Formats: sequence, structure tokens, C-alpha cells
Amino acid sequence: MDVNRAKVGRRLAKIVGKEHVFTDRPTSVVYAKDTMPWDVEEKNIPYAVVRPSNSQEISKILKYANEKLIPVHIHGSGTSLVGLARPKTKCIVLDTARMKEIRVYPERGYFEAEPGLHIVQVKKELAKHNAMLPLFPGSELAATIGGTVAVNTSAHGVDAALGKPGDFILGFEVVLPTGEVIQTGTESTRRPAGIELTKFFVGSEGLLGVLTLLRMRLIPLPYFEHIVAYYNKTEDILDTVMEMYKQGIFPPLFYEYLDERASKIGFEAVGLKEPVGAVAMMRIHSWSKAGAKERAQNFLKFLSVANPIEARIVTDPEEWNQIWSSRAEAGNYMYRLGMTFGSEISPRVDKLKDAYQEAQSIVLNLESYKNTEFISFGHIGAPTIHAYAFIPTKDISNEVKRALTLEMREKTEDLNIKYGGCGGEWGLTAQRVPFLKKKYRKEVYEVLVKMKKTLDPNDILNRGNLQGWV
Amino acid sequence: MGVDQGQAIRETLLKEIGKCRACRFCVDVCPAYQAAEWVENMSPYGRLQILKYLINGTLNKDDPLVYSLYTCLQCGRCNRVCQAKGQDLEVSNLVRLGKYLLSQGLVKGKKSEKV
Repeated sequence: MDVNRAKVGRRLAKIVGKEHVFTDRPTSVVYAKDTMPWDVEEKNIPYAVVRPSNSQEISKILKYANEKLIPVHIHGSGTSLVGLARPKTKCIVLDTARMKEIRVYPERGYFEAEPGLHIVQVKKELAKHNAMLPLFPGSELAATIGGTVAVNTSAHGVDAALGKPGDFILGFEVVLPTGEVIQTGTESTRRPAGIELTKFFVGSEGLLGVLTLLRMRLIPLPYFEHIVAYYNKTEDILDTVMEMYKQGIFPPLFYEYLDERASKIGFEAVGLKEPVGAVAMMRIHSWSKAGAKERAQNFLKFLSVANPIEARIVTDPEEWNQIWSSRAEAGNYMYRLGMTFGSEISPRVDKLKDAYQEAQSIVLNLESYKNTEFISFGHIGAPTIHAYAFIPTKDISNEVKRALTLEMREKTEDLNIKYGGCGGEWGLTAQRVPFLKKKYRKEVYEVLVKMKKTLDPNDILNRGNLQGWV
Repeated sequence: MGVDQGQAIRETLLKEIGKCRACRFCVDVCPAYQAAEWVENMSPYGRLQILKYLINGTLNKDDPLVYSLYTCLQCGRCNRVCQAKGQDLEVSNLVRLGKYLLSQGLVKGKKSEKV
């Protein structure tokens, strides 16, 4: 398609003002880059970056894009781990960063936020009202509330303990791909029953519309207690999680683990003594102080089921902060030491151990790169295993990086299929489309394509993500 | 600036910027990014990307908005975030090095070697 950047820029400037449109290549490259380890290519570099401030401007941009048949890629912060954020084709990038208003209405029981706010900014605002934001991405410093809800990611939280972001969404303002502005849901804390549009936009990954206002229920800030448990081997942690569900024990809000290798990296990173084996850490919540203490005591007793070396409630906030940080630091430090190629495996919970052992075997026998090392951690209570192939160098070509990413993805996705899961954190399009098709078959994929076509007949929004990215 | 020195700086920059995961944790602490109303090429992350793509030839020095490099105030906040939550890059030093690379070519008053 022959598109004149300057012309596109001038037209967009009429909508948002010239200071909010960029058609230069440096800006376009910066917005096209995401967390994928290989470089942006010519085909990914957008024609323009436009930064609207409200739904009316977005409506006009989308009407123009439909008129000229130019794709539009929505940009929150670009933190997706499966390539949702990288434009797949030349396009206009629609950056939501200027949309950062938040209004808290305690008397109505909800807050309204624009999509460009970073999660940490929303948390800070809600804390003033003693409220909790039920969104827990590891990238909260940068991830936007719009992107997080658009993927409906429970991230580090345990679904069975609290739910997913969509469970707290009361309604949206959405700009449809063809430019119409619609309102969904309710202003009551009572969510609609029946067929109501809000649920179609939760987790729609920007394929069906641009979320321009999110209305979310206020959740009172709970009390927390913390437990750390040290084990000889990771399998003991898996046994515990399987038993927790089998016995019907209410799970912790966070239930993380570091395998034998990751625990050493994470603990060293935060200056703690190297543990003997694997480590699990749990955050228990309740809406009374006594309730949180009681739940923590009961959970501690339950943990004896798999004979940990040591399990204890951590009461010193500084100590807990150090232990808890080791989980995030394990990921950071692995990357400092080389390259990591990740996966998201969420099996049926009674198959957790089988899936873990097979993931290990996959990582140790990859074809695109020999002698990869296996390291894992994750939100095991959810359950999610992040199995990583680690290589101790960054000095590999873009081609090998891409091949390793895709081989890891394909082989670990087969475990999700074999053991009945589909993940719950990273979204299902872009790199994950082959999985989507394989797991749910052609018929289901075609329903999604029809839904997309109904709302977006010219395939304007996030073009390429539903087609898959290889 | 000698070609050899330029080459050494380019290699250092590519090696160091190659460690960046594009996590963007550094963007919010940057005063220039805040002042620019959150435009990513005015952030530490954005400056590193511009430098990388300048060096690998995807961008060239005549592209508008390469000047984003010069919006760095050298406050070093990004370094602290990267040290604590990222890949421990001295982001502001890398940007300083990148600016030096560019400006040396310009002050000589002749066509810069391709950056």
C-alpha cells in the first residue's frame, strides 16, 4: 500500500493537534519495539504515532483509518511477553499515554480510569481510599490498566483466590473499530446478568475496540500474612499445590515458587543466604486481621503435607520484602547472566507434576540451540509454571533468538493442550495463534475471525495479531 | 574522532544496549519524559533504542527527532531503576556516550561517518 507519511501526519494533526503526531522514523521505531528479543524490522515500522486525549479523537482517527484502509495498532506500554505489542504491519500506532485521568467514587463503590495509566499509578491513587487494585502484573511500573484489562491477565495472582480483572469490571466506554463510541455495563455495583457487551471487550486484546474508560469496583484493602517454605526439591511444592486443590483448601492470593536453580539466583540477588533447594512463598489475605492470621496458621499446618525443610510465617516486613523480591530478581538476574526463552504452562491441576517434568525434558532437548539450561519459577498456586530455556550468553543472532522463542512456544504449548490448560497470563493471539487454532480447532478460531470481521470489517485494529505472528 | 575510537564506542554501545529488555520500567522516573507528556522517545528506554538503531543503520543521523538523545538531563534516575528492577545499565552514561559519538561527527564540519 502506498501511504504518504506526511499526508497521514497532517490529517492526524487536524484531529489531535500537531504536537501529538509523530511521523519521524526514530519515534516510530521506539514505539514498534517490544520485549521480544529480536530487532524491529522494516515491516514493523509504523507510518505515524498518534497520541489522542479522548474517545472523540480516537473515533475520528479510526474513521479516517477506515476511509484510507490504514491499520491502527493500539499501544499501552508495550510490555506484552507474546508479541501483542509489536505492530505486524505498517500502521498508525495509537498511543494511549495521554489518557491518564482517574476518578474514585467511594459513594458509588467504583472508580473510573482512562487506559493509559500505569498500574502502579492506579494503585497509588486507590491506596488513598484504602482500596486494592486486583491487577498484579510483574511489569506494574510500566504496564497500563488498559492493556492489562484488554488481556484480562491475572498475572501473578491466583485466580481461585480472587478472580480475574474482568470479574471486577462494571463497564466500559469503548470506541469500536469503525469509530462509534459506545457505553457498556452499569454504574451500579451490581453487574449485569445475561448477554451484555462488557464481557466481549474484557480480554479482547484490542481486536474489537479501543477501551477509553474502565469502570471497576472498589475492593477494600485486605490484611495480609506471609509464609515462606523451603524444600529439598520443586516436586514437593507441586505435590503441595495438587493436594491443596484436592483437599479444597482456599488458596493464597499469591503462591509463588523458585526452583532449585532460580532460588539460588534470586536469593543471591537480594543478599540472602543460598537456600538448599526450592522455595515457595505465599501471601494470604483476609478482610480482618484475625482472619488473615488464622488463615496463615492453618495454611502453615497444611504445608507439612509435603515435608518442607522449613516453613514459617514471616512477620518482619523488611525480611518479607527481601524474600518476596527474590522472586522478581530471579527473572531479572537470569536475563543479566544471558538470554532466557520463556513459556506459560497452566495444566489441569492434577497433572501439574507430569507437566513440570515434561517441560524440563523439552527445555533440555531443544533443537534450535544445544545445551540450554532449565530454570523455572512462577505462580504455582494458580497454577502457572514458567519454564525457561536459559543460555549463558547474549551473543546470538536475531534468527536464533526467533527460532528458540518459537520452538519453546510450540513445544510448551503442546503441554497446555495435552494437560488441558491454556495459560491465563499472556493473552492468546500474536505468537499464540497457532496454539489457539490447535487447542480449540478451526471452528472456534473461525468464530473469532467472524466476531472480528463483524466489528472490524476492514481489519483495522491490531492487524496481524489474530492472524498470528511467526 | 578517529574511526577506531568511533568503532570502539559503537561496539560498547551495542553490547550494552543489547542487554536492555525493553521492559520500560525506567520511563516514568524520567523528568524529560514527564515534561514531554509521556512520549517514549524522550524516555531513557527510547533514547537507547534510537542509539541502537542509529548504529545498526535502521535510522540515520539526519532523521528528525534524533535530538531526543539531547533531552536527557543526566539526572541518573533511570540508572537506579535499571539497577534495582532491570538489567543494571548505566543508561544515562550510554546516552552521554551516544551524544558524544554524534556530536564529534558534527563539530568536525564534514560529513559524519555513518553512525
